[in-house]
Amino acid sequence: MAANFLIYGLVNSVVLMLSALGFSLTFGLSGVANFAHGGLYLTSGFIAWMLIHYLGLPAFVSMLLTIVITGIIGALIYRIIIMPVRGIALSEVISTMALGVAMIEFFRYIGFVTYDFTLPPLVAGSVDIVGVSIDYQRLVIVGVGVLLAIILWFFTHHTKAGLALRGMSQDEYTALSLGIESDWAAMLSMGMGAALAAVAAMAILPLGIISINMGYDVLLLALSVTVLGGLESTAGLIVGSLLVGYAMVFTSTYIGPQWGTVVYLAAIVLVLAIKPSGLFGKSKELEERV
Amino acid sequence: MLEVNNLMVFYENALAVNDISLEIKQGEIVGIFGSNSAGKTTILNTMAGLTHHLKTREQRRGGTRITITGDMLFQGENITTMKPRQRVERGIILCRERHPVFRDNTVEENLKLGGYLRKEREVEEGMRFVFDIFPPLTRLKKRKAGMLSGGEKEMVAIGMALIAKPKLLLLDEPLLGLSPHMQQEVVRAAVRIREHGVTILMSEQYARPIMPVVDRAYIIENGTLVMIGTSLEMMENPEVKSAYFGT
Ligand SMILES: Nc1ncnc2c1ncn2[C@@H]1O[C@H](COP(=O)(O)OP(=O)(O)OP(=O)(O)O)[C@@H](O)[C@H]1O
Ligand SMILES: [Mg+2]
Repeated sequence: MAANFLIYGLVNSVVLMLSALGFSLTFGLSGVANFAHGGLYLTSGFIAWMLIHYLGLPAFVSMLLTIVITGIIGALIYRIIIMPVRGIALSEVISTMALGVAMIEFFRYIGFVTYDFTLPPLVAGSVDIVGVSIDYQRLVIVGVGVLLAIILWFFTHHTKAGLALRGMSQDEYTALSLGIESDWAAMLSMGMGAALAAVAAMAILPLGIISINMGYDVLLLALSVTVLGGLESTAGLIVGSLLVGYAMVFTSTYIGPQWGTVVYLAAIVLVLAIKPSGLFGKSKELEERV
Repeated sequence: MLEVNNLMVFYENALAVNDISLEIKQGEIVGIFGSNSAGKTTILNTMAGLTHHLKTREQRRGGTRITITGDMLFQGENITTMKPRQRVERGIILCRERHPVFRDNTVEENLKLGGYLRKEREVEEGMRFVFDIFPPLTRLKKRKAGMLSGGEKEMVAIGMALIAKPKLLLLDEPLLGLSPHMQQEVVRAAVRIREHGVTILMSEQYARPIMPVVDRAYIIENGTLVMIGTSLEMMENPEVKSAYFGT
């Protein structure tokens, strides 16, 4: 029972971290809160499904293609929807939220609501680990999580573009004075965030069917994890995911499955009431904002 | 090299720069002196394209209305409405006031970012030059820039600007908050940078520490040009002398 709890808690935490990663990355690098995150996640699932079923492409190829396509959609969302209102936080939230809802409801409208919508797992079957049966796809999820963490760390610390994005997020005008462009940076970080939403979808969706409401769930999960951990901190994202991840598994095993979802909503409310900057939040000093 | 004609900058209805014309010739070190809110930063930021960027940004979101008139020519080319990046490509590099560095990055990463638009080889060359004129940076390479002292930050900030390969280097109050010794180091560095073929425009509130190395200087008050001259000419004017040279 304890091993079960530990392993499924960990998998659930990595699922949360993956779901939130794109949202957190875009916000951390460009300050844009992309409320279309859940919509992008869902859309990428359906794009992959359509590539497989309408074009007959192999699953793995379809998934890679989906990640690229979703990334491009993200960048275009910045260019078309966000750029004109950049800097007005409320407008950014409202316009991306509206777009996200539109994307999700579009798929409901065209009837993508049956049990036919599933993605194949990368590796089928399951394995026993210390007496706990776990399917390979869940291990794939953990692997993808670890791999992404390494890739992103390398990107932001050792590549020119990554350093430029971090520079822009720390001090826009100094970055500008070195020739880095702020709209380019924001567009890239939106594109990367959207691509990461797609990576998460490709890894997680094979666990079940693609259901419309996942679009909303993923956005709420991403919000709860990032708000809990502090919006701009990587360590916060990891700790936030672990806390919410284990708390969800704990409540649904010991209290009742229907309570699992209450946990992350309660987490948002509690954190905002007690420590609004999040557990790891750096509430910026006034001096730095000027 | 750089020619500014009748530059005016308004923030809403407040006039920050009032009809200023100036010229910087190849190989010079030129000073701009003025007290707080005289308009020094606004002038330098406008040359680097930052004011233009801010103006576009504010326009989009309906914030502060910024008006810029007049024109700027760099090596004969009109740069008045160019983006900051285009100006960096042409060799106009600004080192902003208050020693700005990227706090969460190491000194080395900061310097690398300075060469964002330059080729690998140019960045390496630039690094060597920077470590040569600021030897203390060599042992600070791996330190987080946010942890450095003011003087060390200024060396990093100027270092970044140098690796960006300036033809015209704009230094906004590089001596601000530095000890007399550190001020001397920065002034010495400026001379070496000029010997390297870089033209320099430097703003300061207090003229004495840099006057010996400045070829010509402009004095501005409340956005208006009040005097142009060499250091000798300035010292002869008792009012200027007491305001910008102390006693
Ligand atoms: N973004 C802005 N919005 C509104 N007013 C501004 C803005 N930036 C500067 N100003 C105003 O323009 C005037 C000139 O400011 P500027 O920063 O150019 O002066 P400065 O000579 O650099 O002063 P200091 O020595 O204190 O740095 C000031 O009155 C300032 O309040
Ligand atoms: Mg200033």
